[in-house]
Amino acid sequence: MSVSDYVAGGRSERAARERRRGVSVGAWGIAMVIASEATLFGTFIGSYFYLRFHTVHWPPLGTPKPEVAIPLVMVAVLTTTSLPMQKAAWAAAAGRLWRTRLWLCSALVVQLGYLAYELRDLVAQLQVSTPQDNAYASIYYVLLVADHAHVAFGIVLVLWLLWRLRSGLTAYRANATQVAAFYWHAVNLLTWIVIGTLLSAAA
Amino acid sequence: MSAATLVESRLERMWQPRPGVLGWLLTTDHKRVGLLYFWTTLALFGAGGVEALLIRTQLIRPDNHLVSPATYDELFTVHGITMIFFFIIPMTTGAFGNYLLPLMIGARDMAFPRMNALSYWIFLGSAIFLYASLFGGMAPNAGWFDYVPLANGKYDPGAPIDFYCLAIIFNGISSTLTAGQFIVTIFKMRAPGMSFNRMPLFCFAMLAASFGLLFALPALSADTIFLFLDRNVGTHFFDVAHGGSTLLWQHLFWIFGHPEVYILIVPAFGIATEIIPAFTQRRVVAFPLVAIAELLVVFIGFGVWAHHMFATGMPTVQVVFFSAATAVVVIPSTIQVFAWCMTFVTGTAEFRTPLLFIAGFIFMFVAGGLTGIMFLAVPFDQQVTDTYFVVAHFHYIIFGAAVFPIFGGMYFWFPKVTGKLYFERPGQISFWLLFLGTNLLFFPMHIVGLEGMTRRVYTYPSGLGWGAENLAETIGAYLTAAGILALLGNLVWSFFRGEPAGPDPWHGATLEWTIPSPPPEYNFAVIPKVSSAYANWDEEDRAEDRRKLAAAQLVLDRGHEAPVASPVDGWFADVMQMPHDSPHPPLLALALSLVFTALVLHKFVLAGVFVVACMVVLAAWHSQEPEFE
Repeated sequence: MSVSDYVAGGRSERAARERRRGVSVGAWGIAMVIASEATLFGTFIGSYFYLRFHTVHWPPLGTPKPEVAIPLVMVAVLTTTSLPMQKAAWAAAAGRLWRTRLWLCSALVVQLGYLAYELRDLVAQLQVSTPQDNAYASIYYVLLVADHAHVAFGIVLVLWLLWRLRSGLTAYRANATQVAAFYWHAVNLLTWIVIGTLLSAAA
Repeated sequence: MSAATLVESRLERMWQPRPGVLGWLLTTDHKRVGLLYFWTTLALFGAGGVEALLIRTQLIRPDNHLVSPATYDELFTVHGITMIFFFIIPMTTGAFGNYLLPLMIGARDMAFPRMNALSYWIFLGSAIFLYASLFGGMAPNAGWFDYVPLANGKYDPGAPIDFYCLAIIFNGISSTLTAGQFIVTIFKMRAPGMSFNRMPLFCFAMLAASFGLLFALPALSADTIFLFLDRNVGTHFFDVAHGGSTLLWQHLFWIFGHPEVYILIVPAFGIATEIIPAFTQRRVVAFPLVAIAELLVVFIGFGVWAHHMFATGMPTVQVVFFSAATAVVVIPSTIQVFAWCMTFVTGTAEFRTPLLFIAGFIFMFVAGGLTGIMFLAVPFDQQVTDTYFVVAHFHYIIFGAAVFPIFGGMYFWFPKVTGKLYFERPGQISFWLLFLGTNLLFFPMHIVGLEGMTRRVYTYPSGLGWGAENLAETIGAYLTAAGILALLGNLVWSFFRGEPAGPDPWHGATLEWTIPSPPPEYNFAVIPKVSSAYANWDEEDRAEDRRKLAAAQLVLDRGHEAPVASPVDGWFADVMQMPHDSPHPPLLALALSLVFTALVLHKFVLAGVFVVACMVVLAAWHSQEPEFE
């Protein structure tokens, strides 16, 4: 059946079929995920400051202050992955398979390195203080682990994308790459906010 | 064969579901998901109702010992959790929203049909999870708001509160999926031409409730995560001795809990704003104000949570702020009440059963609202906190303002869903039974509350003068139960013996009345033209739809196709391929149920294994790609 030129909502069916217009439904979906996750972290951070303002010593005496320099450097390194992720999304939209793979892989290397370092660091920190020590340590570790979990999920997302891309690009996969890039932009921003909150105890 | 019948049979073939049980298990059709939600929530409403009757029977006379105190604690806790999380939210959003929202906006399905099915299966899993605890004798028993320190590991050891924490998180995942889904559907899936201001008020209400759910649930999730960790890992969020705070629980709980009240009642407002125009044959007075008020009531609802905590000794500044903020909620609520009443007065009201329920709803909502305003007077609130006066208030709001419109909506859309008419006279009898029953049940609670009867007491001694009121309440409870049975009996009888309804028995205002009853799988054969919020009353547009169908124009019959619109203006933006039946949603929900079962058994490694299983299912799910041209 031929596409009619009948106009609906100011635009014809033919025009709608030929050229997609506006933000994809998938991008709206990831916006909902990000909104929900951001609210969850907002609640965690609100709880952090609520507990802080009801405590005399923060961190409590006997609990070491968080280290400042290295975490900040690590977040900065992680943030750079926003660039290759977005480049991958653009390459996928342009239908360039190998470029998409390359940009994804380069992001993946940095992301894996970040997570590996952070997990080693987490284990080292747990030797000194544990979440069972006091409320400060409880909220500290919950925020940190929740953030790491989001980084880990992002890595799973990139691995899944690479696995899907083994048989080439489709409109669906290009869309998925853009959605994954949005997720990573959000996680990178989130990590700054979480680390900033945790480091506020060092002041 | 005419072109119209050809198109319809083509669409019929393309959208045909699998036959039998498999068709329901794998379905992604929003109407089937809505019906699954409906039956499940109805069963849970029955369970919550039986719990309520047991509570009332225990309180029928002084010094009664029908159930043990421990069982009584479980009964009122599970009653509260069931009615709020497992009946009203899934009934209004899951059942009514899923079934009606796409029909009202002229869509062929939700934006994410498989995710929609997933939210149902997760909901079912969480309901089974909660009720497994009840039958295992380990049901939550610290009240629905589960205050610490009562609910911490020291004073309430064992599985009950772990079940509470996990059931709430589990159920929250389902509600979050539904909420995000509704928002995207409302913004993107409206029929081209339906700009935002031409959207029916029901959809505005669903949008408001979805935003509420999306932004309120994380606070509750965080709170229950903290409590679960405190109980099982040894953290100190709520442990004052180690720098924690018990009030943190209350703040986070009510940051969720107050928006929750509006999440419960705003969809009911939406149902009311559909029933009133149909039976007054008049457009709702002050349409834009009502639409804005529906959104505002939820928005302001986020800033009033601490009025649940006036008895905790907060600083005066906070108390005054939250008291004032609470007063502000009155404004959008009252705008809606006046708009409904003026629509009644200026239209030609025909008091059939659905409209009777809406009239009853307005009465109950005003009564409950007036006692609500009393609570913002802080000295009064501190007197009646945790008494039956509060119980009376929120039952007027929750039963009167949320459940009455649900009943009205069940009658109103029954012809659309089944194609049969219900019986009018028994319907009106069920309304009067329910109206008298609920008022007899809840009104005396005001009096015993003012006389000092505290909520959640197991029993009370004679000689306090509470006997007559409590007896009346219990009689009212059974009258209410009789009303509900009359309502359901009427609907079941009508399903088998009712007259055929035809597509539009009420001359309703919105798009769902333009299509046959029950609706075909593809909803709309031709993408409908919309030029106002009362699309079914725009005769010219409907005539144009028929012309287009006869010419096979704008029928999108190249596959599982649905139109996508631009979010505000409703311009025709895209044609989307919708997914077919899928086994992944029930599989993923099953894997997630196993995660939560492992967690409640404290098998954390096993839970991790099942999380990996979830990921595998997700990967398989997303390997099925829609065919783009």
